[in-house]
Amino acid sequence: MQRNRPPSAQAIGVLRALAADPERWRYGYDLVTEVHLKSGSLYPILVRLADRGLLETSWEPGPGSRPPRHLYRLTQAGREYVAALPAARADRAAARPRTRWSEA
Amino acid sequence: MLSFVVMMCPVGIGVALIRRHARGVPSGPAVRDDVPARLLRWAAGLLSARRGEWGQAMLGELDHIEGRGARWRFAVGCAGAALLLPPWGRAGPSVGAIAALAAGTAGLCAVEVVRYGLGGSGWVTAAVMLAFLAGFALAASVLLRRPGIAVPGLLGGLLVAAAWLAMSGFTFYGVIAPVTAPFRPLLPVAGTPLLVGAAGTLWGGNAAAGRRIARLAALSASLGLGLFGTIAVAVLGAGGPPGTPGWTAGQNINDRLGNNIVEFLVLLPLVTATIGWAAAAATARISPRLTASVASVPVVAGGSGGSGGSGGRHEAEAASRVRTWRGTTYRLLLCAATAAAVLLAVVAWLRG
Repeated sequence: MQRNRPPSAQAIGVLRALAADPERWRYGYDLVTEVHLKSGSLYPILVRLADRGLLETSWEPGPGSRPPRHLYRLTQAGREYVAALPAARADRAAARPRTRWSEA
Repeated sequence: MLSFVVMMCPVGIGVALIRRHARGVPSGPAVRDDVPARLLRWAAGLLSARRGEWGQAMLGELDHIEGRGARWRFAVGCAGAALLLPPWGRAGPSVGAIAALAAGTAGLCAVEVVRYGLGGSGWVTAAVMLAFLAGFALAASVLLRRPGIAVPGLLGGLLVAAAWLAMSGFTFYGVIAPVTAPFRPLLPVAGTPLLVGAAGTLWGGNAAAGRRIARLAALSASLGLGLFGTIAVAVLGAGGPPGTPGWTAGQNINDRLGNNIVEFLVLLPLVTATIGWAAAAATARISPRLTASVASVPVVAGGSGGSGGSGGRHEAEAASRVRTWRGTTYRLLLCAATAAAVLLAVVAWLRG
């Protein structure tokens, strides 16, 4: 059964990063560096957002024999969801950057 | 028993290493093949079919990350996520049961440390036990997520546990009592992993499945008997078989807990996994059905050029020489393992 829990502060950070330029497809590692999340936290968030229909994914063919890259951007429902987020909550998430010891 | 384990371990490790090299690294989509890429490829293989796309996404992203440290951090993070990412499907209840076994054993051990006032040495024993239990539970949860491994692995674990329990007569007293005739139980203890490894290979259709089934059997039996032994210590307390003369009750109880660690969390998994591993490799090599299925797999030409010129011929000859050398060494090790098993069986029969 799919549970629609309220998004965590980290998930809100990812949503807002994607909402900054909603038309642009983003790479996973770009989000890792921009939102200052570990990859182990980012991908479960992306999976949950995709499961909830807030995120759409696509593949970019790799050059030559290199593997393709996964791309992400918000769906229309995702954009509406971010727009409907309480401002205070979004601000709190944005004003509380997590100090990280790794992931330069 | 200890000499048997010492004798079998190098053989099993040698067989495993040769089998691992002989298999080679599977060609995946990622061009780079460093340790982070291998780690992540392994972890992505644990994802359910529904999440397979996300494993490919992680691998594809890793291929574009530069810098050793950054690659390691990304791969370790993604591997952790892949290990925990639901859905776990039918493996969920089994993983829960394994976690409950480990948690129950650790909790009971802690209760005994407090109840009998074992002090610092008791907590050291509990910490060592906890480290083993946590590692085993994690390793078992990984194996349980592999398709086709859970049922035969857990059945094999039951069989192995029954063989080890038979040594003690299925009693708490027997579990605590020291083994006075170390060669007598050798046949069931060594024979059961042989059976599990061979049957697992036939069940799974290849040596890799047989090895995994043997490992899961070793881990699940170890966790089960770890709990049984800890319950036995709790039930018997300071009673039961006579302890070491001159020791206090607390010292004897701590000693029994330590013996449980050595016997059930070290010896049992080591013996079972090693013998099962060797049995799986031998079965895959000997079984006509499996040999035929391996031989029918078409050989894909490697290399980037694939022109089939003299360079390709030299590479093929070199690869053939390496395969021949590995095959010879592999057969020698198998013969050594078989000779050791036969020798020990004869010794056990003579002394029994």
